Amino acid sequence: MAIEAYTEVTLPADRKVVAELRGVSKSFGDVLAASDLNLSIGEGEFLSFLGPSGCGKTTALRMLAGFEAPSEGQVLLDGDVVNDLDAHNRPVNMVFQQYALFPHMTVTQNIGYGLRQVRPRIPKPQIAERVSRALEVVRLGGFDDRKIWEMSGGQQQRVALARAIINEPKLLLLDEPMAALDRKLRKEMQIELQDLQRQLGITFVLVTHDQEEALSMSDRICIMRDGRIVQIGSPQELYDRPNSRYVADFVGTSNFFDGTLQGSPEGLSTVLLDNGMQVQGMAGDGLVDHQDVCISVRPEQMKLSHQGDGVEVKVHNRIFLGEHTEYLVSHQTLGDFLVLAPRQADLTEGAFAVGDTATVSWEATAALILDRN
Amino acid sequence: MTQRTRNWLLLAPAGTWFLVMLIVPLTVVFIFSFGERAPSGGVVLALTFEQYANLPARWAAFKNTMTLAPIGTLSALIIAYPLAYFLAVKANPRWKTILLVLVIVPFWTSILIRSYAWIFLLGGRGIPALLEWVGIEGLRLINTPFAVLVGIIYGYLPLMVFPIFVSLDKLDKRLLEASSDLGAKPWKTFLQVTLPLSIPGIATGCMLVFILLMGEYLIPALLGGGKVFFVGNALVDLFLQSRNWAYGSAVAVTLVVIMLITVTIYMRLISRLGASREDVSIM
Repeated sequence: MAIEAYTEVTLPADRKVVAELRGVSKSFGDVLAASDLNLSIGEGEFLSFLGPSGCGKTTALRMLAGFEAPSEGQVLLDGDVVNDLDAHNRPVNMVFQQYALFPHMTVTQNIGYGLRQVRPRIPKPQIAERVSRALEVVRLGGFDDRKIWEMSGGQQQRVALARAIINEPKLLLLDEPMAALDRKLRKEMQIELQDLQRQLGITFVLVTHDQEEALSMSDRICIMRDGRIVQIGSPQELYDRPNSRYVADFVGTSNFFDGTLQGSPEGLSTVLLDNGMQVQGMAGDGLVDHQDVCISVRPEQMKLSHQGDGVEVKVHNRIFLGEHTEYLVSHQTLGDFLVLAPRQADLTEGAFAVGDTATVSWEATAALILDRN
Repeated sequence: MTQRTRNWLLLAPAGTWFLVMLIVPLTVVFIFSFGERAPSGGVVLALTFEQYANLPARWAAFKNTMTLAPIGTLSALIIAYPLAYFLAVKANPRWKTILLVLVIVPFWTSILIRSYAWIFLLGGRGIPALLEWVGIEGLRLINTPFAVLVGIIYGYLPLMVFPIFVSLDKLDKRLLEASSDLGAKPWKTFLQVTLPLSIPGIATGCMLVFILLMGEYLIPALLGGGKVFFVGNALVDLFLQSRNWAYGSAVAVTLVVIMLITVTIYMRLISRLGASREDVSIM
């Protein structure tokens, strides 16, 4: 099945592996939270676990942090198996979902907490200096003696970030760090996080259910579903070459049409859609003749014209989005689907009004034949 | 009906109760404490400090109260904290409620009956007999400060457990993970995160137990057997036996003043420890 066979995009050869999951599974009682995870994380990489809630992404992160021990398999840090190493002995730090800042400590005390645990002790002036440097890095200079509850959500998140990076961890784990921020702040933080990661060179591992967040920040994304890794790849790879309907649907938006594969799946193949139409598309890996498949076409790959070849549709709804116009069109047998027309097309071809008849066409190479799951 | 009248009406029952049962009696006691003993018992109003000058005669009662109340509070805290910690942090959530109920179960029986049970346990045929059997002889437990302390700890433990349990239970467990993640060993996490954040619970528990202990009467009466007595016992004696109301009132006023002073100092201490005043729910 295509869903089990994911190909890991190999790291560049010169990149050192800092962390690795080898056949890692985790069950809580009867519930299998993570199953056979295999993954290498390269030094200085920004990797995201993306998936809906309950897909096992947080469990994966917690096993890297040392809060959960894997039921099976091995977790490696710097080439050493660390399955039995407690969280407080791992050179890994985490930014928690609700930040988990210590409410009885000031900003400075929170940030210096990790350094104060180090034995032999780090001299106080040195701790103070590193704390103030960390405050500068997250642009919170002057907030030293503030109480945590006097800080806004965005500021608290910076404190949490500073508290984690000050220890110069091998891995910085971020568990849905933006979930509590409003949209505008989230955008800002995304850019800042990326800058910070490049500046510090620390390996970031992010857990998120927000595809936009994962796409905009990550070097590689690890798509998870029901405790398994479905596909690993760069944002572009996942977007252009998803290995299943699930990934295509989770990364970006797509239109799907169910059908059956005709003939052997090599390059451009033919699919007999359920409504009797025959269409061509690029077959993904691991498909077999007569398999139930679906055709996936991204809305922006579809072209809406007043006449010409293509399927005839009726414009059902039109949403003007500035640089794009989103048309919801309906076809008699294919049902409703989305077409995204660039502003330029609207200007040259003329825009469509609700109720207009139009034809939709796409390049055969833009249509992907995917497993239905 | 305006909002204002409604507020007053809602406050009226509690207000009346406080006035009739607290303010008025306290005022009466305060006035009596400057009076003299009537020949047939009771009080003759006057303005004399004679009763206060006589206070050293009851020094033993004050001394016992002022030593056993703090020691009892501290002992209860030391025993209650691990129990509350276990219930809040370690216990399986499925058993939590049952275990909590078990802590309250003793309250279903009167403290009088439970203290009588201790008379037997600590008396000649109880624990001392058992110890004699293993070779430790001549140990007297009943009617000693130790017996009173045992009774106090036993009786007041749940009052200490609950506030601490509540503060530990609402403690965000992710803070403990964060501490561990930042490199703190479990013991350090306890000292630097768990303990400071449970101070409000400790403060409330200690306050509850301490204030009630200062006025304790029953436990010293039963387990102290007249040898270890508290101010409470002295008051009963003065009002009901020797019928010296004026002197009794002076003793009572002194006890109230001592309590106010200790509680004030205590509150200062707690707020310096970092717990804000609002956190201590009893004040």
